[in-house]
Amino acid sequence: MEQQTHKTLYSTHAWIGVISGILLFIVTFSGIPALFDHEIEFWQYPGYGEVANDIHPDDKVFNLEKAVAAAKAVNFDYDNFFIQPASDINNHVILAHFFEDKEPDLRYLDANKYQQFVSSPSELNHLFAHLHTDLHLPNPWGRYLVGLSGMAMLLAIIAGIFIHVKWRKEFVMLRPKRSWRLLLTDQHKLLGLWSLPFTLILAFTGTILGLLGLISPILALAAFNGDVEKATIAVLGPRAEVTGEYSPVYPLNELWQRLEVDLPDTSIELIQVSGLQIRNEDKSQVTDIGGIIKFSGYHKDKLSNLESVTYNLSSGEMIHQGSFIGKGPFQRIFAAVTPLHYVLFGNTWLKVFYALSALAACGLILTGNMLWLNRRGHSMEHWLSKLTLGACGGLVVSTGLTFFSSQLLYAFKFSADSHLHHHIEEWVFWLSWGVILLMPFVYQNGFKLSHYLLRLTSFSLFATLLADGVINQRWLWLTNGWVFNVQMGILFSAILFIYLDWKMPKEAKSKNENSTTSNLQQSA
Amino acid sequence: MHLINRIFDNNISKNAAAIFGALITTIALTVCITLIWPFGDRIEKIFAGGTFFFVFWASLFYWAILAKNGVVAWSRILIIFFPVLAINIFSLFFNL
Repeated sequence: MEQQTHKTLYSTHAWIGVISGILLFIVTFSGIPALFDHEIEFWQYPGYGEVANDIHPDDKVFNLEKAVAAAKAVNFDYDNFFIQPASDINNHVILAHFFEDKEPDLRYLDANKYQQFVSSPSELNHLFAHLHTDLHLPNPWGRYLVGLSGMAMLLAIIAGIFIHVKWRKEFVMLRPKRSWRLLLTDQHKLLGLWSLPFTLILAFTGTILGLLGLISPILALAAFNGDVEKATIAVLGPRAEVTGEYSPVYPLNELWQRLEVDLPDTSIELIQVSGLQIRNEDKSQVTDIGGIIKFSGYHKDKLSNLESVTYNLSSGEMIHQGSFIGKGPFQRIFAAVTPLHYVLFGNTWLKVFYALSALAACGLILTGNMLWLNRRGHSMEHWLSKLTLGACGGLVVSTGLTFFSSQLLYAFKFSADSHLHHHIEEWVFWLSWGVILLMPFVYQNGFKLSHYLLRLTSFSLFATLLADGVINQRWLWLTNGWVFNVQMGILFSAILFIYLDWKMPKEAKSKNENSTTSNLQQSA
Repeated sequence: MHLINRIFDNNISKNAAAIFGALITTIALTVCITLIWPFGDRIEKIFAGGTFFFVFWASLFYWAILAKNGVVAWSRILIIFFPVLAINIFSLFFNL
């Protein structure tokens, strides 16, 4: 490679990293709890575990007619609503209706008796999932920003591949006793190389997920004369057409059984019901003759989460089948995007591997920023260094503190309807992040502050387990299943932060200091 | 002429070509690929365009940024943009 090309690629890699680094860290780090969204949701509310304990695995067979009847029994009277059957983790059925201008109406039914129970007062999982997908910004701008950060990551990775020509050597090179800059360089290359396949997949799939809304009109312009609605229907299936004429509902459990033929080897994640109504006179179920029921989910063996089939609610006739299995290569690529990004394949250990790789990517971003500053002769006093420490370190600490507060708040027994529990969680998260963001600008010793932040994160994670034991009686040695798995994840994270605190240098060693020390050692 | 040369022949111009020029050309290329992709049905064409969008964007970005100066960068972008735009106009408005 020509020297000028190498120089340009190097400079592009560095500038993209520095400009998008902090945003990328926020998206990547929040992706770790977002990856375990369902697991954390199950752990965060002890009530879900109690419901699960009451259910025998044989009783967990989903009954669609019972679910719809239960919806009407709890006055969930919407023409258009969604049902989420119980999954391997959460043993409850969720009913959902989405409004355009306010929060959705969500109801939780146990997966055995289909009786409504009090939902979780905590929304810890949503807090991190929403940060990862939308940065808590208005829709769709947050999503676009996340997509653009994915694109920046992709561009930085491409340049990174070409500028690191001695990759065989860099795969195993770590010189912890040399200067601060060499340590950062080695760590940056080591983390980058080992996590390369993972970061490449995540950046590519994340960019597609983030920017899909932005490119959809372009694609629709070409294929459907700009009609996005028409393009959406062609890909995802039709919507209900309200006619005002009603007829009895086709037996829903029969449709559920037909899925074994129409949508084989598919885990149904969502059922959309449109046009169903309850007749006031005899409380019987009727449907608009244009009403539909749509089943969608992901294939159990192949990488596709866009499998769907739509039936007419009145006649039971199949009106659309959207399967991407066996289709053209580009449809299969798109169908694989979400499973690849959110690990909808493999087992829990694969998710753990993804989480560790995401952590490595976070280290990659941080070392990249610090290296850029160090090579320009800037120390921890530079404003970008302080901002990086405040924003990135702040997010890590506030995540730990929010986990802790989420369990501690159960001592106050706030009801789900009061929304106090999750509002306080949000306050703890934003306030602690905001305070720590400012800390490096007040407390000048960045190295010492980094150690304090690592210790505080570790302490808050240990405190989370303690609070869970004292308040909810869920001590680590008494729990099992997903609650135990999540608690082990928290324990592992707490130990990891202690380890990082132990291994991180107390101050930046310069090249000269090292050579002086080695000279002294030689003369001695 | 000297002023025009100065505007186009610098790093800011090169970066603008890599960021904005590449994006606009990518959009034109995506529409073009979606229109003329010869394999599969209409849905396959949409997804072919969607996948290539990111490949084009990254490729054009680096093609422009690795140019010697702004003029070369813009030349590289526009040499793709205009023919693709012509194909799009003919395909969309004249159904060719």
